[in-house]
Amino acid sequence: MQITGNYLAILPIVILLTGAIIGLLIRQHRRLQEGWSFAVIVMAFISSLILLSQVWRGGQPFVYHIGGWSAPFGISIVADLLSTTMVMMSLLVISAGILYALGCKDIVTEYPTFYPLFLLLALGLTGGLLTGDLFNLFVFAELMVISATILTAISDDKKGVEAAYKYFYISLIAGVFLLLSVGALYASYGSLNIADLANRIQINPDLPLLPMAIVFLLAFFMVKSAVVPFHFWQPDFHTAAPTPVHAVLSSVVVKLGIYGFLRMSTLLFIDQMDVAKIVLIFLGIVGIFFGGLGATATYDAKRMLAYSTLGQLGFILVGIGWGSSLALVAVIVYSFNHSLLKASMLMLAGTVSSRSPAKTAAFSEITGLGKVVPISGILFLLGGMGLAGIPPMNGFISKFFLVKSGVEAGEYLPLALLLLGSIITLVYVIRAYQKIWWIPLPKSVKPKPYGDMFLAPAILIGLSIVLGIWCEPLLQLAEATVSSMSIPTEYILAVLGD
Amino acid sequence: MDIFIALAIGTFFGIGVFQLLRRNVIRSALGLVIISYAINLILLTAGAYIGEVPPYFGLVGQSSDALPQALILTAIVISIGGFAMVLEMLYILSMRYKSSDLDDIDKLKH
Repeated sequence: MQITGNYLAILPIVILLTGAIIGLLIRQHRRLQEGWSFAVIVMAFISSLILLSQVWRGGQPFVYHIGGWSAPFGISIVADLLSTTMVMMSLLVISAGILYALGCKDIVTEYPTFYPLFLLLALGLTGGLLTGDLFNLFVFAELMVISATILTAISDDKKGVEAAYKYFYISLIAGVFLLLSVGALYASYGSLNIADLANRIQINPDLPLLPMAIVFLLAFFMVKSAVVPFHFWQPDFHTAAPTPVHAVLSSVVVKLGIYGFLRMSTLLFIDQMDVAKIVLIFLGIVGIFFGGLGATATYDAKRMLAYSTLGQLGFILVGIGWGSSLALVAVIVYSFNHSLLKASMLMLAGTVSSRSPAKTAAFSEITGLGKVVPISGILFLLGGMGLAGIPPMNGFISKFFLVKSGVEAGEYLPLALLLLGSIITLVYVIRAYQKIWWIPLPKSVKPKPYGDMFLAPAILIGLSIVLGIWCEPLLQLAEATVSSMSIPTEYILAVLGD
Repeated sequence: MDIFIALAIGTFFGIGVFQLLRRNVIRSALGLVIISYAINLILLTAGAYIGEVPPYFGLVGQSSDALPQALILTAIVISIGGFAMVLEMLYILSMRYKSSDLDDIDKLKH
């Protein structure tokens, strides 16, 4: 039982890696490759579900030591509840992304390496979430960055290369930040294993290089999830990406940074994060307004949703900054729900833009085009209600818990700003809905007779409605996760073994 | 020895950051390369780096820490791949935009 459990921890990584390699080998047969890639991502998702249920039931993290090297010396893959929940969420949304790509009319999906790269993107994200070693995190994050860059650079949009270059350049600088942090931590504590580091930092918290390491690690995660001072690449990059890739990037790939902040504040630097938490609250609120106003003013539906990600991540950052257990529950629920909603809304915007003759999501080109695809209008409105936090949707649950934790913490000023930010969400969603689905189609525009399928966003929206009405399982999962996060020794003991 | 390494890291960083802030895309990409070499030196100095004997069990004498060197190898491999991609994209960019000035490569901003 224990042995099978520990092998389970590395199973999603192995499935995705094998799948990507075989996907490259069968690149001559496009239909086969498409089917194979979808089967692989679904298998990976199922394996992460099994892993999650086992970890949840066992109440104990699963640890796999690569190559049999015991903990502080080798690389360990640690599947505790937090990382497994994040992996499950990511693979769910990426499965939907690949399903969307199967029914997508973009030329980029016919590119022989499109699906293998998509699987590698999933692999980089999964590995980054599961790994228990800081340097290994660098390797997986670079893998993720490189595959996301190529996927954007080959986009149908001619500006894809420019966007990809911006992203890649900034991500390389983020890699420099992470390496600086790794160097500082290794020089001070002589270890890179996260559990071992947490242990050693607790024993000896006064070394001079520690603040530097914290700041650089924070900067790395901020670039990863586009927190305000490091966000300039995000709207450009996400707008130029092909729709299925954009849906994945803007919903789950940015969550790597959120995972990093959670790990830092509950495991690595528990006592040193006080100032950083205030900074996170401040940056979160700035992000809510910056993202919201940017989304209200922008010229393109997909760009609007990319800006909206900035705002929504702001809500999550405020929750991390409050840091009470209720706030952390809200953070996990919020991350999950935001991933579902944002991915589905992006795909719906994609179904509309695929009907436009110019193949763009600029409002000037797609005004009134929604008349051709009325079903995605309904789904888009439902998704928008979720983003703004209106009851039947799961977005209401996450906003409710965030507000409740804010009231409990007595932080009324951030709370008021937060609620104001929610209203901005409603404004830009309604604006987009009105422009795309209400205004009649101009006579001069000839919409394409066929476009992208909306099966994948329909599934995600359906899931959001279910989670909005019956939110118990997700809440219980989040509560179990937070209670395991509140005992860092559990993680440390599981990795180092007494 | 330490002072020389420190000076080398400082010089690399100085040149790298200066190049990074230039407007020419190619120069700024080269600045990134130089900074990554400075980082490799920092990683090297993170462990004990002055050794006289190989780090084998049973040998007498000071041996250097092998882990940072392994880290540097990995970082070099990854950054080589990264820079190959940077140069490739720069080539396409300069062909498409007919310029290497950062101010000209801004079609995404409206």
